[in-house]
Amino acid sequence: MKTEIYNAADEEYVVLRAKNALQTDPYAAKAWMITAKTLYPNNFTVHFEAYKMEKEAKNVKEAAKCFSYLLENFQEEKFWKEVETVIAALRSENDANDVVNQFLCDMFRHISTDVQHKLLLLTADRCEDAIEHCKLLLLLLQRFPMTIPSHGPRLVDTLLSAEKHSHANNQPVNIYRKLLICDLVPLLASENVSCELSSKLLFKLLHKGTEYYLCYIYNKTNIKDTETKIDKPWQRLFDLLEIIGKHLGWETYLTNFKNNWSKENYWQKILTFCQTHKILSVDDHVHMKQLLYCSTIFFLYCLDDYKSSLSPDASPGQVQTSFVLIEAFTDTSLSNPSLEPKSKRRRTDSESSTPIITVDKNENKNIANNFLMASNCWDLLHSSEIFTREYIKLHNHLKLDSILEDYLIDYALYKKCYDEAVAQLQPPSGIPDLTLSRHIRLANLFYLKKSYGNCFEHILAAVQLLNSGNLGSLSTQLVIGGNQRHLHYLPLTLNGVLQFCVKLLIRCIKEKFQHTLIYNDLVIGNLLVLIQLDWPLEEDFLPFLMNQIQQRGSFSYMLFQTYIINIDILEELSYLWSERGGGVTLDILPHLGQRRIGTRGADKGVKEEIKQTIKRQISRNNDRLDQLLIKFITQQRGHIQQFLM
Amino acid sequence: MSQFSGPEIKHTLRKLEFPVCSKEALLKIGQLTCGRVPSIKHMDLALDLMAEFIFHEVDRRGNKRTLPLTTMQEIQLVEVLYDYFNSVNNDTARNSVFLSLFSGTTAIIRSGILSKLVSMAIGIPSHFILISASTLMQQLGNTSPNSYRLANALVKDYFVLMPNSSKQLHLVPRLAPQFASNFLTAVADIYFADVKKGPLIFPPATLLETITDWVSENTQLCVAAQQTQSALPPGAIAMEATTPFAGLLKWCILAPIYRQTSEIYGKLHLGLIENMLEIPHSNPPRAIFAQHLIISIGNICRYAVDLQNRSRKSDPTERQKMFLEDTALHLCLDRFAQAIQIALSVNCVYGNIGDMINQLKQLPFNKLMAIVINSYKNKT
Repeated sequence: MKTEIYNAADEEYVVLRAKNALQTDPYAAKAWMITAKTLYPNNFTVHFEAYKMEKEAKNVKEAAKCFSYLLENFQEEKFWKEVETVIAALRSENDANDVVNQFLCDMFRHISTDVQHKLLLLTADRCEDAIEHCKLLLLLLQRFPMTIPSHGPRLVDTLLSAEKHSHANNQPVNIYRKLLICDLVPLLASENVSCELSSKLLFKLLHKGTEYYLCYIYNKTNIKDTETKIDKPWQRLFDLLEIIGKHLGWETYLTNFKNNWSKENYWQKILTFCQTHKILSVDDHVHMKQLLYCSTIFFLYCLDDYKSSLSPDASPGQVQTSFVLIEAFTDTSLSNPSLEPKSKRRRTDSESSTPIITVDKNENKNIANNFLMASNCWDLLHSSEIFTREYIKLHNHLKLDSILEDYLIDYALYKKCYDEAVAQLQPPSGIPDLTLSRHIRLANLFYLKKSYGNCFEHILAAVQLLNSGNLGSLSTQLVIGGNQRHLHYLPLTLNGVLQFCVKLLIRCIKEKFQHTLIYNDLVIGNLLVLIQLDWPLEEDFLPFLMNQIQQRGSFSYMLFQTYIINIDILEELSYLWSERGGGVTLDILPHLGQRRIGTRGADKGVKEEIKQTIKRQISRNNDRLDQLLIKFITQQRGHIQQFLM
Repeated sequence: MSQFSGPEIKHTLRKLEFPVCSKEALLKIGQLTCGRVPSIKHMDLALDLMAEFIFHEVDRRGNKRTLPLTTMQEIQLVEVLYDYFNSVNNDTARNSVFLSLFSGTTAIIRSGILSKLVSMAIGIPSHFILISASTLMQQLGNTSPNSYRLANALVKDYFVLMPNSSKQLHLVPRLAPQFASNFLTAVADIYFADVKKGPLIFPPATLLETITDWVSENTQLCVAAQQTQSALPPGAIAMEATTPFAGLLKWCILAPIYRQTSEIYGKLHLGLIENMLEIPHSNPPRAIFAQHLIISIGNICRYAVDLQNRSRKSDPTERQKMFLEDTALHLCLDRFAQAIQIALSVNCVYGNIGDMINQLKQLPFNKLMAIVINSYKNKT
């Protein structure tokens, strides 16, 4: 035995003997260590060494015993470092690769629950960082549900005030809110836990939670921080509603979103609730609150569905296409649309003010259904003065304005409130660069308001924003029969938008001149150009225009060579020009503009040239009409604008 | 009560051949000793039946037989006893018969049969028989000559005659912990024991290994007998079991100075220490008797004297240096001091502790022992 060991102080001597023996005789080492521990129950170093020895030797149970003893008897800084390591290991428990962490977690499991509890609580109390403190307390509550009643409400307060004093800048998606809403609140509702929370606090939690999840749902793309990332936010929001509802004693059928839940069924439940409690007519605060929160959250859920159906995910290899709600056209001369299901027609018969809503593809039919469901909720929320007042309070509290913005335009259009829709689209301050969809909607609304000049301005703007990345196709559903209003979900594709703009323009021109008995040549010519796009959908115009030309006996249109290429139209014109058709004068050759040549006694050369011109135009029949019309609208905007003013 | 008429029973039994008569006699003895109110008369009859029909110690006239049972007959008898005891699951009933069979004045004569029966109960594991054997050892005293003899016989069977039977032995602590505990106490006295004549004997390696495994793997084994209440016949006084701590600690403490260098002693020592830590608290303490704990002092002092005589150094500093340099002595004293320290710290020692401490002071100087003694003094 070395003399320095022999001469060491008593405590040190015993520990040194233990350490020394470790290499040669582990049994003796352990016997020495046990002796040391019983000799010096109050000496931290002795016990810490003992712990380290057991840890080295990977004795889970023994290490746990030593650790517990240290925790219960000492407050040394050195030991807290070890405690922190254990806590860190617990946090990353699933990381099974780390052998040391694994050992520490195993050790934690061998500590009695009382000591585990104390460990987490003490660590949390010592923690100066607020987030860490809260996370540790959460860990405690998760592992020891019996501590929830005593520590749960306190942690709620801590998190609320921590968020208030943090620099979260009123941004609801922050770590405090996440810990509070996603982690803590579900714990408060765990089974066999009775946790008393005031109803004021419960509503506060519901507000905070709703605000948090909404922000999360509607700003998905902006949330990059992985720490705040969550899955299935709607399910979690519903769970939150269920938890809070349970504490507030709400009807369970309104707070249950599981077991074959569907929007239709839930809507029926809401209606049942309204009927049984006569909420909308009686001032019943308790039931009204319940209805308010459930129907508002349900409304927002429907709204989210609606929004996602407006921009459905593209199938692989396809370009993503969004839709915009517009008021399309009806033609009384056409028969009622046969594609409408019977049930719908019956309903529309009785309420003729309810518009028909069409969508091009069957697979997108859900857009209309989603819109109608959301609107049912919106109508419910505004069905009585007192209820609306409550809703507005909640609306402002949750800052729903920006979420509802687009929907409310659709809703205004649906309800024929065009001025309101325009006001929504054109805020007084004015946004300089409007999106394609906004130009389309404004063009649509100005047409409906018979403000044709404004309408054209937005048509022009929309057409200029078109790009050929997403061509799309022409629709046959922009005009339907009957006399009901007709709303349509217009795909934001080049052809879709162009077709709608052209149809708007045709109708602007037609309505502008509907009181004029005789159209001027330019109007007739422009209409002939426009009806070419989705020919023969607008062929009904043709007889009227030909009739006008025939009555006037001549047709002078300098843009003829540039824009008229449709065979049917060219044939009709040729016919009018022929002897049999009445020999109408066609002034379509720009360089002959000065010499007015009648057909009678006609110059053979000119006649031949017109013939050739028509032939040449016919040969252009395969030119791309979309490009032709875009060119027409943009290049001829000057005079179109003029006569629409 | 005609069924318990002595002559009639004897008459019936005498018509039977051995070992059938023994089997039938056991059933009768069971009925006699376990009746609701066993009378003296019944007990006497039971004792008669044992002597005549089971152990064949007397003939039908009550005269002592000169011819003992043959080896073959002995084996047959053991089998009958095994079958009988292994089938009685009421502890009190079984223990009553067991005790009346193997205790009392005839205990020594019957000890051969007893040893064979218990040995068989280890080989063909029988919880019931081991429990009864444990009760018997405890009632007779687990350090008594009877227990000593039983332990010795078992050691002979399992460690000397067939040293590779570790599988069955391993089962014993779980099969009947109280038996294992009582066996340890008894066996501890066989070795490292001061027999006036002749040198100390040491445990065979297999025994040492087995005991060490038992103790290390079952940290509550050493107090198992003390912690379980024996099921005794009405009126019997339960005897306190002596724990094997002191006896086995003596092995570990003395091993170094008797050149028993096997490291197993170190492991056994640790196992015993860990067992001590598991001793349930009791007031007053009852697990270890102070005088038992210091039984090794004499051997250690003799060793020190020998050491001194051999070197013939008279200078006190030289002498002290010599003691300090003797590793065997210090390993011995370190283990001793550790055992004392832990026993004191868990407060399991009864008897005159002050006297124990004084006696410890007579030992050659050892730093740990000094620390332990000081620590004890500072506390009191």
